[in-house]
Amino acid sequence: MTTVVQVPLRYRVPFKKIALYVLAVAFGLYLVLPFYWIVAMSFMHEADAIAVPPSWVPVHPTLENYLGFVNPDAAQELVGGRAVSETPYSLRNSLVVATATALLNLVLATFAAYSFSRLKFRGSQVLLLLYLLTRMVPGIAIIIPFYLLMRSFGLLDTYLALILSYTTFALPITIWILKDFFRSVPRELEEAARVDRCGWFRTMWSVFLPVAAPGLVAAAVFAFMTAWNEFMFALFLTSTTAAKTIPVVAANFATDFNTQFTVMAAAGVLAVVPPLVLALLFQRKLVQGMAAGSVKG
Amino acid sequence: MSVLTERRPLGDNAKAWALNAPAIVVISLLVAYPIGYSFYVSMQRNNLKRPRAKRFIGLDNYKALLSDDAFLSALKVSALFVLVVLGMTVVLALLLALVLNERFRGRGLLLSLALLPWAMPGVVNGLMWRTIFDAKTGALNGLLTQLGLIDSYQAWLTSGTGAFLFTALAQVWNTLPFSVIILLAGLSTIPSELYDAATVDRAGAFRRFTQVTIPWLLHPLLIVLILETMNAFRAFDTIYVLTGGGPGDATTTIALLDVQTVLTFTDFGLGSAYAWVITAITLLISVGYIGLLYRKGNFEV
Amino acid sequence: MELNRRQVLKLAGLGVTATAVPGVLAACSNGSGGGAGDGSVKFEGWDYEATLVQQNLDNFTKTSNVKVNYTPITSAQYVQKVVAEFTGGGGPDALYVYDDSLAAWVEGEYLQPIDGLPGVDDVYAAIFPGNAEAMTYQGKRYGLPYYTDSNCLIYNADILAKAGFSKPPASLEELEAQAVKIKSMGLLEYPIGLPAQLSDTWWAWVWGLVYSSGGDMFDDQQAPIMNTTDTVTKDVLTWLQNAANKSKVLDPASLQLLPVPVDNAMKANRYAFTIGARYALRDYNDPQKSKAAGKMKMALVPSLDGKVHGTISNTRMYGLAKDTEVKDDAFKLLTYLGGFDASKQPYTAKFWFQQRGLGFAYKELAKDPEIVAALKKFADPAIYAQLAEIARPRNVLGVAWYTEFETEMHKVVQGVLSNQTQPSAAVASLAQTAGTLKKKYS
Repeated sequence: MTTVVQVPLRYRVPFKKIALYVLAVAFGLYLVLPFYWIVAMSFMHEADAIAVPPSWVPVHPTLENYLGFVNPDAAQELVGGRAVSETPYSLRNSLVVATATALLNLVLATFAAYSFSRLKFRGSQVLLLLYLLTRMVPGIAIIIPFYLLMRSFGLLDTYLALILSYTTFALPITIWILKDFFRSVPRELEEAARVDRCGWFRTMWSVFLPVAAPGLVAAAVFAFMTAWNEFMFALFLTSTTAAKTIPVVAANFATDFNTQFTVMAAAGVLAVVPPLVLALLFQRKLVQGMAAGSVKG
Repeated sequence: MSVLTERRPLGDNAKAWALNAPAIVVISLLVAYPIGYSFYVSMQRNNLKRPRAKRFIGLDNYKALLSDDAFLSALKVSALFVLVVLGMTVVLALLLALVLNERFRGRGLLLSLALLPWAMPGVVNGLMWRTIFDAKTGALNGLLTQLGLIDSYQAWLTSGTGAFLFTALAQVWNTLPFSVIILLAGLSTIPSELYDAATVDRAGAFRRFTQVTIPWLLHPLLIVLILETMNAFRAFDTIYVLTGGGPGDATTTIALLDVQTVLTFTDFGLGSAYAWVITAITLLISVGYIGLLYRKGNFEV
Repeated sequence: MELNRRQVLKLAGLGVTATAVPGVLAACSNGSGGGAGDGSVKFEGWDYEATLVQQNLDNFTKTSNVKVNYTPITSAQYVQKVVAEFTGGGGPDALYVYDDSLAAWVEGEYLQPIDGLPGVDDVYAAIFPGNAEAMTYQGKRYGLPYYTDSNCLIYNADILAKAGFSKPPASLEELEAQAVKIKSMGLLEYPIGLPAQLSDTWWAWVWGLVYSSGGDMFDDQQAPIMNTTDTVTKDVLTWLQNAANKSKVLDPASLQLLPVPVDNAMKANRYAFTIGARYALRDYNDPQKSKAAGKMKMALVPSLDGKVHGTISNTRMYGLAKDTEVKDDAFKLLTYLGGFDASKQPYTAKFWFQQRGLGFAYKELAKDPEIVAALKKFADPAIYAQLAEIARPRNVLGVAWYTEFETEMHKVVQGVLSNQTQPSAAVASLAQTAGTLKKKYS
């Protein structure tokens, strides 16, 4: 690759731009339309939401579906279930659990991933596969023994039970993402810091990790989403608003005796917003982080 | 790689295991026992509603699978589901990643939209699509009718094929973002010199794609394959909410059957055996993928 | 406790004690049973109207001084969660029990019989025999009634009138004929709707159709007869197949309808007929919730020959945990909820009917003037009472494999509705399923 001569293209593919925009719009619609529809429904009265033919924008926009969450007593009679009154609590619980999972996961995975990226040691390949193996066993197989374990720890219906479960879920994949990312961080950085007589922890903290930030963000977002979306373990390990998470409450909407589409839609929107905001905040770093992590170091 | 061979300080082994210790402790404390226990249970006749009939039966649960119609049918459905979901996910994610890798107006917006489905819990995803596919008031019916594509409202989920395809669609929508990000990340690291070189060779767009892009993307693509295979095999939330496994057995995947066996029929023994079959299959496929990587010579751990 | 935990971890870490560990785990959980551990009664139920339940429990605590620790559980996962709790040794002291799960929960040693406890005989003498039967397993009584309901034909009298019918159909033939007329007049494309999407709840309407024609799927020894001596199931399936595929009066979308969407369609005048529980009428006839209010009526489920044979009922009960440490208080709670109060009135049963229209198991309540007055607002009291009189529970609730059979039956019926399975093959497959399950559980 010594002499790269910039030869102007003899002819440009004339339709490339058009094709690009057509595809972009098509994908955009595919991604946003389903979600748009539940957002639109969440601002409608029930009658408009199930009208035939549908009205694509709320013709009589209303906030009552959302206000129900703030003032659940008024909504009780309307929907006949607890799901509405539990939604705000479950959002709080989901946020706490997912954030804590992301952080705890990051700490544990950073240590492990560092070892795979910097040290050559016996058993490393087996260990790496063993990590992944723990994720290949379907959750349903381990849910009952896991439940018994948590019960014996006295952790049922607490945040900790969920944080611990989700950490074990996310950890193997996070280690895989991070190890490749760390490998792409130039060794010279650490060597330089060592020359400056920084201790190992100091080196990690002030030199290595800042450079690795995009990878850490990607790993954290991944763990956050894992925790945010999980349903089955949350269902079994929690029972009250002290720890119930949003998927469990959302499932209530699916089975409730008198569910309204619009209230369900509002809850669905609320369930998506926090992680979405998070993903958008870290969007740029997310792609960078995955970039180094997934290709090769 | 050259860096590694330069110098190998003593104690790497100890240091590495010390660094892994916290993760190993957490994982073995929390899942090693349940995993081991579930394997043991898979060799038991163990139905929670008949505690007195519980006993060790060796591999009988596994042997019985060969003539277990429900299991065989679910396995078939699952295999097809994985194939369809994986195929759609990879094609769509690759296409979307290629689009996002270009410069154009609104790229940032499209990237944000591409993250949207990731934020949606599977249960909510199922509920959303159920509303959309509704036979009486669904948005899909409304849209297609207004566009003049159908004359009257259709019950999309009542035929086996329909239910299967729409469920797969809903699943793909939900799992797309992760693959898109990984592939996009891979694309963004392709050195432009490679393309330039290919251009010099007067390679057409298609050949550039097959000779530069695809080989470079092999690694991220395989990660996508492994993770999405695992996900599709274990997909439960969306299917459960959308069709409950029906009509008939059309969408009863092995994961769904497993949950039903353990939780509804309380047959912990048989359900654990199902789970271990799923594990074995996923492991085999993953090892296959990894073997592929080895052959390409760029898998390193 | 602390030591135990450590032991567990150690044992688990060694990975050699898969059998011992659950034992140790169970030992960790305050001794033999569950319960709240502070002397209060731990009470669990599915989350239907949890706020009202709590109000009612507060009232109980005020009068009895017994503290109740109530946890409502998501209804769709109630059974699974309770099983997990009892398996883990942390079950409640008193709880809701579906008649569907009674046998399994007795076999699983979750529940204890209540024979001989004060007032139980009085209760069982005062309720409909079908309800008493549903709460009895192998000769022992396990519950006090929470609510019961039986299946009926629900029809939109307005639509029937427009089509020129003043009376609901008595036979399935008539039902189809009326529906065909409604369809041909262009009033509705599909006059009949049924909830036929797979779900974890039983399909009462299938059983209702079979029982209303005097048939059964099983004999009294729980041997399948739907393929041999009893042809009713096959004839009913044939009728369903024709209604769905020949005369096309049964909505093909039924296969993707859960009960709630069917309710919504009934309330929006989109179906003329469905088969459902009596209590649905209360909602259907509530002007605040339903456009069809005032037009919805109930009738007996039509039969093959047009004669009256019976219908299906379900019973939801309050049960007493086997290992409860607060048996006396828990039974006091049970009596408050499912038995008689000091003035010999089934207080809570009446409360539920008045509040939400839940059916009662007590025969006398049918004559209570308050009840009759409330009932008249949404249904014909005479038909309502007649349904209760003729209703029977499913006679296979006592077998261990009932849930598996019910699930399989849904799939078979879906096959018939979508014309993929012939009725004769369907009943053969049902009989075979029953046989296989029986063998598996023997």
